[in-house]
Amino acid sequence: MDGCHDAGCDASEIDADSTLALVGCPNVGKSVVFGELAEQYVDVSNYPGTTVDTTLAEFGDYQLTDTPGVYGISAFDEEERVTREIVLEADAVVNVVDATHLDRDLFLTLQLLDMGIPTVVALNMMDEAEAGGIDVDVEALEEALGVPVVPTVAIDGEGFDELRERVPEATAPESTDIEAYYEELPDELEASRREKTLLVEGDEDLAREADVGGVMADGGSPALVDPGLREEVYGQRRSRVQSIVDSVQNVTRTDESIGDRLSDLMINPLTGTPIALAVLGLIYYFIGDLVAQRLVDKLEGEILAAHYIPAVESFVGGLLPEAGWIEPIEFLLINDNLGLLTVTVQYIVGTLLPLVIAFYLAIGVLEDSGVLPRLAVLTDRGLNRIGLNGRAVVPMIVGVGCVTMAVITTRMVGSKRERTISTALLGLGIPCSAQLGVIMGLMAGLGLIYWFGYLGILLVVLGVAGVFLDRTLPGESEALVTELPRMRIPRPGNILRKTYNRAKMFLREAIPLFAVTALAISALDYVGGLAAIQDGLRPLTSLVGMPTDFGQILVLGLIRRDFAAAGMTDMALSSAQVFIGLVVITLFVPCILAMVMILKERDAKSAILMWLGSWVVAFGVGGLLAAAFGVIA
Amino acid sequence: MSEVLADVGSGESVQLVDVPDENTRARLLRLGFLDGSVECRHHIRKGPVIVRHNGTELALGAALAEEIEIERPTAEASD
Repeated sequence: MDGCHDAGCDASEIDADSTLALVGCPNVGKSVVFGELAEQYVDVSNYPGTTVDTTLAEFGDYQLTDTPGVYGISAFDEEERVTREIVLEADAVVNVVDATHLDRDLFLTLQLLDMGIPTVVALNMMDEAEAGGIDVDVEALEEALGVPVVPTVAIDGEGFDELRERVPEATAPESTDIEAYYEELPDELEASRREKTLLVEGDEDLAREADVGGVMADGGSPALVDPGLREEVYGQRRSRVQSIVDSVQNVTRTDESIGDRLSDLMINPLTGTPIALAVLGLIYYFIGDLVAQRLVDKLEGEILAAHYIPAVESFVGGLLPEAGWIEPIEFLLINDNLGLLTVTVQYIVGTLLPLVIAFYLAIGVLEDSGVLPRLAVLTDRGLNRIGLNGRAVVPMIVGVGCVTMAVITTRMVGSKRERTISTALLGLGIPCSAQLGVIMGLMAGLGLIYWFGYLGILLVVLGVAGVFLDRTLPGESEALVTELPRMRIPRPGNILRKTYNRAKMFLREAIPLFAVTALAISALDYVGGLAAIQDGLRPLTSLVGMPTDFGQILVLGLIRRDFAAAGMTDMALSSAQVFIGLVVITLFVPCILAMVMILKERDAKSAILMWLGSWVVAFGVGGLLAAAFGVIA
Repeated sequence: MSEVLADVGSGESVQLVDVPDENTRARLLRLGFLDGSVECRHHIRKGPVIVRHNGTELALGAALAEEIEIERPTAEASD
């Protein structure tokens, strides 16, 4: 560990390449503060070894690092572990504190100061505090904490000149009340003040690496201190927080805001359910209709298919010499199914990019407005039955847009067990918007009763599969514990920035995967592998009462879900066959890109089990339906 | 038998006295939910309980609410 991490460290010790970490609780306006301070964005990337995004930028002589929002420095989840790592290495910290939630936020502040980390406090949301009748005495708070406190209104850019000026004044008190607990640690222990503070709080990772008189602590018993000590330390820190809050904060009135009332309406199932349905309907209209149908049709069909593909085909055709050995290369680059330069580009630019951007915009609005955690509360009870908690509502919503993308969002649903269940359900029975558009078109010809039947079968299959996984997977699901931030009108700038960062991250991960997959599928196609698979599927297609051509639909469905559904429009099928076919292709394995993403996010064994499981379920349910309709030849 | 958070109705104020899960206890302690009383804002039937303390609202899943032991304030100690 380098930098200054002992008591009394002051600004003069910060060298030119210092790291400045931006730390704060969730929803305190940290990303807006980051945007104000950042002079030049450097990078958005996964923190090494994790799935958590962190953003880097330059600020004066500092390298500025954003951290995931946390309520304290410990290791309760992946976000906290990332923040803890960054804070342990940081030379100084800007701690963003919500002036309306001093009682909640000062725990983290005092913890940073106990660790001796040079800190400047940005006391944000001063406007909301004022509007809410909360009066904070900034000078008294600065006095009580012993570090600079700068009042800011991040969204209006207020207070940032002062914050920029005072960052070099970052400091920490020489000593704090936590030192009394250091005595509990072994005398021979060599550790910095940061490490000692976390060690008395029972930090297991540090205890494992602790150097106790030249002997590394035994890996078998990680705690260096009594397990109850963490609570004592936390309790003592909480009482310091309370006494500071009592002396610097004066609440003159507490009235219910419009946000409070809206929050009540959203949480009450009677009023919340229709509101949630309306919100989801609106999102579906925006993404499923405006973007997935109209915009994508225009981009893919009128622009890319009409102009880009012919241009690339003639360009590549003209560039490559006329020779027998060149034919396979040409096929890989420009074939009609998944040519690397033609259909793959058309798919990524024409379909995926608009969908990804639209989804991240919608998710950003739901997050920033505070709707998302309330949807989690509403759906928690239902999702509990299939081994998930309310947080899994996000991947399920995203899945109706694009399963590939939803697989990435399962990172936020909690434990490994919940990730496995939500990924399996996504792969099994959530139709993506590309497919849903074509399915809706085919269903329109059948009538409303089939449409309800289709939805009913999907819900039953998802429910049964969820209950089955919940009962068979080891362990227990985590209960929902989530903060409900105030509801507010989202800021477009913040949402655009988040969308840009996330879309960039997604495409950076997805494009190489897609390119490799496209080449592999094209190669298989070229050597006749796809045709052989189609032949091999014959017993299964007859099991579900479909003609042999249906095998081709299934193979196409592997490449792109909407190809499958679209292929069915050209086949001569009875109503029952159309219905069964649609159920089977929905339940059948997700598209090859989603499969590759599942393989990347989960382990190979789970991915293969999920893959096999969707074969069994798709043809099992299809076979039952075929028997019920009496269409088996 | 002692009462648990899942028994508390909307609008009541109670004190969370025992949270069996160590990590959940530490998280609640950190947020100040074990200092003094918390207000039960909503209790969704068989679903999460939403508690509030000093303006911070937290949703706790039903399984967790079944485990958290509470005490109702006596008349003179209530706030």
